[in-house]
Amino acid sequence: MNELKLEYLKLKKKTRSWLGPILVFWLIMLAFPLTVEFMQDKLEIGFFSVLWIAILISMMLATEDIFIEDYNDGSLEQTIIKNTSFQFLISIRIVVYWLMIGVPISILSFIFSLGTSEDLLLSISVIPLSIISSYIFLNLFALGSALSLNKGSLLGALITMPLALPVLIVLGKSIIAFQLGINYLEFILLLLGCLSIIIIAVPIIVSFIIKAHLE
Amino acid sequence: MIKKFIHQFASPKTYLYQVNRFYPYIFYSSLVIYIISLIWGLFFTPEDFVQGNSYRIIYLHVPASFLSQSLYLAMAVASVTYLVWRVKLAAYLIIAIAPIGAMTTFIALISGSIWGIPTWGTWWQWDARITSTLILFIMYLGLISLHNSFSNFEKADKLTSWLVIIGAVNIPIIKKSVDWWSTLHQSASITLTEKPTIDVLMLYPLIGSIIGFLGLITCLVLTSSKYQILIREKTKSWIRDYV
Repeated sequence: MNELKLEYLKLKKKTRSWLGPILVFWLIMLAFPLTVEFMQDKLEIGFFSVLWIAILISMMLATEDIFIEDYNDGSLEQTIIKNTSFQFLISIRIVVYWLMIGVPISILSFIFSLGTSEDLLLSISVIPLSIISSYIFLNLFALGSALSLNKGSLLGALITMPLALPVLIVLGKSIIAFQLGINYLEFILLLLGCLSIIIIAVPIIVSFIIKAHLE
Repeated sequence: MIKKFIHQFASPKTYLYQVNRFYPYIFYSSLVIYIISLIWGLFFTPEDFVQGNSYRIIYLHVPASFLSQSLYLAMAVASVTYLVWRVKLAAYLIIAIAPIGAMTTFIALISGSIWGIPTWGTWWQWDARITSTLILFIMYLGLISLHNSFSNFEKADKLTSWLVIIGAVNIPIIKKSVDWWSTLHQSASITLTEKPTIDVLMLYPLIGSIIGFLGLITCLVLTSSKYQILIREKTKSWIRDYV
């Protein structure tokens, strides 16, 4: 619990790190209707594609400095020699990022979805999808950020982006499934299955990668 | 005995000398097999009753697709070997295979696109098999970029190995994509467990082209790995004797 609180306070102090991605998400979703002026009544056609891409980009931005500041000031080395498991600390950090960035973005996704589609059930179905996908994306981009620790976040995002593409495909298909009234829960379960593996695997791999950087 | 053989062969010096010994045999036999299979497939097999002559691109597309995934698997095995047993040669192989894997994946994508025009009526479709193969191509490029971004080879090898292992999750997705999703891409015609669905007249040259292409790509990998060894071991005294 102390670690969770500590990570929360650390992220809270870095306003730009948690508010930035939320504002970027907000701006993308606000700008989207402006770019399709001629078909305002059919916004929902492209809305969900833009929504998933906006979540992806926001999560990519969110993980930009997830490890780099600690790496530069030497606190990552201190964290490794702590008694608490390093993998556990990484998991906690990702959870905090998700709570402060992923969850608000999921709530915003619901609001934007409701405003665009005017379909309450469809908008409610967006919540679990955005909550799970934002957590998956955070984990994947945290991995990318660890891999390219002192080489800039762009490289990390680029090398882990291919791993995020199957999630985007599943997200697209799950909305179609919901609209057609078929298999929606199966897609949620598929995403949860991926998430359960990622939650365990990513912190372990990230810890090895960071140790390799510090060797 | 096997352990001793592996340890001996895993030494860059032994590897280099063994590669030089076997290289000409692999190269010339593969070249002959591939050329014969290609001529056989292109000129001496019957037309397909649905696809006409356009199916003949399989003699390039199928070997390239098969190898694009196999090379990634080989990299994954090499990565595990490097991370677990710290075998230097495995690390050299990873980065030797990556550009060749990218090339074969690119050939698979391009030949698939060319085949798509007469059969599907489109160059590209965001179909599960094609998209996952494109992801594989991007993964190869990502691995090369990651490795090249570090000047410290040891660190680059470790991080690239981790990324290779993580990316290996894409291989079963590519393999099973035609079964898990309803796709435009047809299911595999040759499997280990079932009787081939392709006519034997087309099958034999196809198997020949796969074997020939495999041999030629193996030669490319061997050349690329030799280059890696010469760069990485350039300070060693035996390299000077070798050169």
